[in-house]
Amino acid sequence: MRSSRGNRILEYLVVFVIAVSLNFFLPRLMPGNPLALLAGVDVGLMTPEEKAKVKEEAGLDRPLWEQYIDYWNDLLHGDFGYSYKQKAPITKMIGDRLPWTLLITGSSLIISAIFGVIFGAISAWNRAKPVDIGLLWTMILMGSMPTFWLGMMLISIVSVDLQLLPSFGAMTPAFFGTFWESVADVASHTILPVITLSVWSIPGVYLTMRYTMLSVLGADFIRTARSKGLSEKTVLFRHVVRNSLAPVVTVLAIRLGFAFGGTVVVETVFSYPGLGRLIFESVSGRDYPVLQATFLVITVAVLVSNILADMLYPLLDPRAKAN
Amino acid sequence: MKTSSLAFSENSEISIVSKKRKRKRRFNSGRVSGIAGCTIVTCLILAAIFAKQLSPYDPSSQSGKPFSPPSAEHLLGTNDIGQDILSELVYGARISLTIGIVASIVAMVIGTTVGLLAGYYPRVLGRVLMRFVDIILIIPFLPLLILLAAYLGRSLVYTVLIIGALIWAGTARVIRSQVLTIVKQDYVLAARTIGASDLHIIVLHILPQVLLLAVGQFVQATSGAILLEAALSFLGLGDPLQKSWGTVLYWAQVRGVFLTPAWKWWVLPPGMLISLAALGFALMGFALEQVINPRLKNNSK
Repeated sequence: MRSSRGNRILEYLVVFVIAVSLNFFLPRLMPGNPLALLAGVDVGLMTPEEKAKVKEEAGLDRPLWEQYIDYWNDLLHGDFGYSYKQKAPITKMIGDRLPWTLLITGSSLIISAIFGVIFGAISAWNRAKPVDIGLLWTMILMGSMPTFWLGMMLISIVSVDLQLLPSFGAMTPAFFGTFWESVADVASHTILPVITLSVWSIPGVYLTMRYTMLSVLGADFIRTARSKGLSEKTVLFRHVVRNSLAPVVTVLAIRLGFAFGGTVVVETVFSYPGLGRLIFESVSGRDYPVLQATFLVITVAVLVSNILADMLYPLLDPRAKAN
Repeated sequence: MKTSSLAFSENSEISIVSKKRKRKRRFNSGRVSGIAGCTIVTCLILAAIFAKQLSPYDPSSQSGKPFSPPSAEHLLGTNDIGQDILSELVYGARISLTIGIVASIVAMVIGTTVGLLAGYYPRVLGRVLMRFVDIILIIPFLPLLILLAAYLGRSLVYTVLIIGALIWAGTARVIRSQVLTIVKQDYVLAARTIGASDLHIIVLHILPQVLLLAVGQFVQATSGAILLEAALSFLGLGDPLQKSWGTVLYWAQVRGVFLTPAWKWWVLPPGMLISLAALGFALMGFALEQVINPRLKNNSK
């Protein structure tokens, strides 16, 4: 189904160009004062120097195509511009937030990989038995829950009523302790966001694992393995599970990209200082330049995880190399 | 969308299972989920239609003291400005379901059109269109939705259009692959030989064959659209004048309700309604698929 490697790379490039162009054209072509849309603050609140600076940086009085080339030039040099609202360079703001998002998306990816694969395997191995049907229904139910709502409920129950885990931020403000105490503090803050993100992404991994394993179970080489007299255990682990993992890894890599998008609601609920929260803050503060930059970074993250998936697949499934 | 396309592919497994087992499985999950899904969706739609009769108060006017806990007058208490939460939720069904359903109709129309064209003209137009579909599938939905909503402003119409414009790609893929097999069949060839125009063949001969499939895709897309709308409204990007379930949760978040005991009547019910609606449509889609999955039919030949 997937198109050839060269085509895929072309597609990724096109997505990147579309994202950048959207960022460029949206504020310039929308009705209203482009100055406000470009700077992200009320024009009335800006000093004349700031106004002149925005105008000059965006090159509003020059032809559109010149502005466009300049825009690309800045971007490719890693310059996302300046947030007039926060009075800080955007590249630095993103650099501060990115590690936190990587921490929770990475952890939730590992967790959903483990649980998704195990539950998917159990389900497929016990096809149409109560275990399978029970798991399938649970997963459909999990997939129907709004992520942000699950987060709110976890805070209400685990943090507020039971007082077990912190509900807010990535670490306790002004925390003094040894290195390991700080690590424990950060870890305790990640637990609830990571659970929320994982509940959201386990069903996808589970369904892929279950589906792939079911089709592997029906393949001829499994019948051969069984008729050779191999034990069920050997058949399961050496033949079935091994052959089912390649598509799962692909899904996981793509999920990683999606998880970056999912962090918007999760980090908002938990006031977690990552990229997703930055999107929410810039939306509610109308800080358009920051919103744009964050959108672009997330798009790039999605593209990178897709490229990763493309690279991993032939390594895991040598049959794919033949094409 | 991701999960729905997976759920779709998941069914080809059934062809592997022996016929007897197949019938049993269908009975187990297909019918049960179909009945459950239909029941849930029907109840919710009825509540939305009869919102005026069902809700005890006008949701937009103050009917009690702010922040009051559940009582005989207000079964789910009141919100921060004294509006009855139960009435808000009953009326919210209208907004949430309308956005979910209309956005999916938009997606179904775009997806079916693109699928038909890409399947009927597979050489040049089809390739270009499918490349475009691939591109849409790569772009991160939620951030793009947020970006567009932030620039276009908070309005019901935009929300519907933006969601619809982003979730049609999966449908296009499914329809196209079905059209590719239909085009090769004798009656299409016959129609062509007697000089029927392309438009005539597409509309009268191919469209009816994929319509049911499109409906199945529509039902599944609705589940995703309801969740997307909820997320968007929760982030404060919903129409401020049309309160959906997501908007109710947005205000609960803004007022920090989930840090107080009020979460039991202010946070729990709207979330359960969203889950229920998404679940109902997902189950219906799952059941429909067992009946209309083209792969299932092809394999059993």
